[in-house]
Amino acid sequence: MTETTDRLESGDRVELRFPARGDLIVLARLVTSAISARAGFDIEELEDLRLAVGELCLLTLQGSDAQHGDLRLELNVLGDAIEVVCTLERAGIASTFEPEGVEVARLSEQILDALVDEHGRESRDGSVRAWLRKRRGGHAE
Amino acid sequence: MEQDFHIEERAGSSPPVIAVSGEIDVATAPQLREWLHGVIARGESTVVLDLLGVTFLDSTALGVLVGALKRCRELGGELHVVVADPRIVKIFEITGLTSVFTIADSLESAGAA
Repeated sequence: MTETTDRLESGDRVELRFPARGDLIVLARLVTSAISARAGFDIEELEDLRLAVGELCLLTLQGSDAQHGDLRLELNVLGDAIEVVCTLERAGIASTFEPEGVEVARLSEQILDALVDEHGRESRDGSVRAWLRKRRGGHAE
Repeated sequence: MEQDFHIEERAGSSPPVIAVSGEIDVATAPQLREWLHGVIARGESTVVLDLLGVTFLDSTALGVLVGALKRCRELGGELHVVVADPRIVKIFEITGLTSVFTIADSLESAGAA
């Protein structure tokens, strides 16, 4: 699975932009799997990253009125680590909330705490940005 | 590639068994919520949720399960979760939900008949 000749090296960067809809977060997960494999992460780390990036996207969308915005996902290979940054620009405040919204955000934070080495989220000037970093062989748990 | 999401209620089972396969995420979790709430709304206080065919599960799915568990317990029942895939079990473990849900690794041990 992780054997490939198309290896990504430190400094390589991949960007994905898609409409900020929950049903399209699967695209972020698929791209993360492909990029993580090419960056040398093993199958367990790859699965962790796939789940973590999905949660990162959810946290970025949480409480935002993103009906007309785009999610931008940047994957940066940095030495033995990968950094993923998820940005939602010009996000408004959501007028409706999912029934389990607060609980889901807490669960997302717990999942990220367990699976990656570092993560964070910030809102500034109407944009929401969430990020994570995970090292190869680090096993954050 | 993403596996198709599928959900069904096993005919004739008591307590009712809801079997799910594929990926449960923000796109499919609302369907699971609708099924679980529908079963509980007809008076079933104890439900077995068969996740043996689930290949991916995220926090929105867990949120739906927690909500359904609360509804079951308000009626004096329980939500039994059946899960065997180590990757799925791991998600319950890292969120501390193994101590919240009654988790079994087979339908038999979950008491489904």
